[in-house]
Amino acid sequence: MRILLAEDDIEIATHVSKGLRDAGYEVVHEADGEAALAAAGAGQFDLLIIDRMLPHKDGLAIIAALRAAGSATPVLVLSALGTVDHRVEGLKAGGDDYLVKPFALAELLARVEALLRRGGSGSAAAGKMLLRVGDLELDRMSRKVVRAGKPIMLTAREFKLLEYLMLHPDQVVTRTMLLEHVWDLHFDPQTNLIDVHISRLRQEIDRDFGRPLLHTVRGAGYMIGERA
Amino acid sequence: MNAARQSDATPLLRSSATRLAALYTVIMLIGVSTLLVSVYYANQEALRRESELMVLAESQAMRDEFLFNGIDKLTHMLQQRADDWGRIGAVYLLMDSNGKRLAGNLSGWPVDAKASSDGLEFTLEAREGDQEVDHPARGHVLRLGNYRLLIGTDVSERRRMLQQMRRATLWGIGLTTLLTALAAWLYSRRIAARVSSVVAACANIMSGDLSRRLPASGSHDEFDSLASTVNTMLERLEHQASVLRTTFGSAAHDLRTPLQRIRIRLETGLQSDSPPAVRAALAEALADIERVQRTLATLLQIAHAESGAGDQHLQRLDLAALAQELVELYVPVARERSIALTLEATGEPAMRGNRQLLAQLVVNLLENTLKYVPAGGHVAVRALRRGDRAVLEVADDGPGIPAERHAEALLPFRRLSDSADGSSGGLGLSLVSAVVRMHQGSLGLHDNAPGLRVCCEFPAVD
Repeated sequence: MRILLAEDDIEIATHVSKGLRDAGYEVVHEADGEAALAAAGAGQFDLLIIDRMLPHKDGLAIIAALRAAGSATPVLVLSALGTVDHRVEGLKAGGDDYLVKPFALAELLARVEALLRRGGSGSAAAGKMLLRVGDLELDRMSRKVVRAGKPIMLTAREFKLLEYLMLHPDQVVTRTMLLEHVWDLHFDPQTNLIDVHISRLRQEIDRDFGRPLLHTVRGAGYMIGERA
Repeated sequence: MNAARQSDATPLLRSSATRLAALYTVIMLIGVSTLLVSVYYANQEALRRESELMVLAESQAMRDEFLFNGIDKLTHMLQQRADDWGRIGAVYLLMDSNGKRLAGNLSGWPVDAKASSDGLEFTLEAREGDQEVDHPARGHVLRLGNYRLLIGTDVSERRRMLQQMRRATLWGIGLTTLLTALAAWLYSRRIAARVSSVVAACANIMSGDLSRRLPASGSHDEFDSLASTVNTMLERLEHQASVLRTTFGSAAHDLRTPLQRIRIRLETGLQSDSPPAVRAALAEALADIERVQRTLATLLQIAHAESGAGDQHLQRLDLAALAQELVELYVPVARERSIALTLEATGEPAMRGNRQLLAQLVVNLLENTLKYVPAGGHVAVRALRRGDRAVLEVADDGPGIPAERHAEALLPFRRLSDSADGSSGGLGLSLVSAVVRMHQGSLGLHDNAPGLRVCCEFPAVD
């Protein structure tokens, strides 16, 4: 998997590049806006990570130019501009996800993985009506959840939460990703809201069954999957 | 934003232009009436005096004739003058002591003669075409020895003239009043229209569209000079706002980039095989960075809302639905703290708003109240429609805030009691207040006896 990283701060770029390489990705780094646009147009990339404020060419302008040229490569926007409206602008300009600085490396990696799986082989999950993780099944049509043949009753929001987790099996899903996609909230509340909702969901799907499926990933978020 | 929301057109009677126009009309009415009525009375007096003088002069001539030349000469003279007199409407009658008519153009002493303060009033019978008509007349009776001479004038012509003049006067007053009122009404409408265009433009600008300018009519009148002054002021404001936005933008960048670097170093440190004590310190530093980050985000969000930039993302939304989603989100947290969190939604409190900012407003109110309300407490969220307002209330039965400190509570970085964590609690209500202002709403803190009731009201839409 090849990733283009367009970031003008060398220390941040070095750290992010190292983190991505450690996670097994191939990384090309550009520090200049024009150079980043040229590289994105020329090379085959699976994902673009573009800072919003780049020298010589604004990050959103790069995305607009790429989209106009017909590129569908997923883009993760990095930005120091963090109000909710800035996020909306970034997504409207053609970004697929928006991450505000300062971010944790774990947050970046989780989002990169989510974007890559969505764009590649993982997209199969997005179109599927029946999601399955181990013996847990979620039917998106009839909105029913069954584990080991036993029906599980969930509220509408719990269903949405589980659905999002199951759309990303064996991937780390962060708290902010859940807030954004399950509750459509693009800011961080102070309270440990997500932890409380996850523990309630865990009660429903894991408590009466031997093997837990919903795991906490320390310092990152949550993951649903068969491996512990 | 539209202006109608801000202020409906000023009621006609309360408009100062209308009042000025009405005053102008009344003054014109009084002036014109005084002028025309005094002209009328002056004319009336002049006419009266003219006929009186004529009668008086004639009486003098008759008396002299009688005294110097005797009754026969007088009779003769009267007969000679009869034709002239008839033409000018004069009447006379000379009678002897027996009541016998000697001369004159009256057939007999008028039957209805009535003495008044300045002479005799009576009626003449005259022929006009085929009709017999009564003409009013006035005159003097002159005693000449044993004879009586009645000299008078037919006043019907004079009366008719006065009547016409009276009618002309009334028409004059009426028409002048009508025209003045019409002109005044048009004038006040014009003024009202220009004022309301200024009001509308100002309302638009106040709601954040600082690039708009007041229109000038090009007539270089006082409205144009007002517009140009306001426009100069707006230019300065717009400049300041843009400087502020750029400053915030670069501040965000200049603060967040070093924060990111600090984060990176802390994270790298945590990954290495440092001693546990160092790792614990690094983890705490990381938590502190997160707090700084959150405060910074809230500050920037407040600045963003205050600048009106969030206006571009307004959409119609149901406050009750939003409240329900967020209450649902917080119910498990409240339950963990043994606080009952309930929602009461009535009607359809729909409004135009920025969903993310309003969600943050509700979240801040909820986090604020959940922080202060002790276990066993109750927090009620209400979303309702009150007249033309969409209302959102968060009421608790916690310790509350004394009424005299309500205003203070909305200021940034005021912490009214000791909150457990050192997080951005000092900014929560400031952000609420900024978001309310951005939506042209009003924010009130009330005593919930016991507890605090925070009430946000917004202009509702259907």
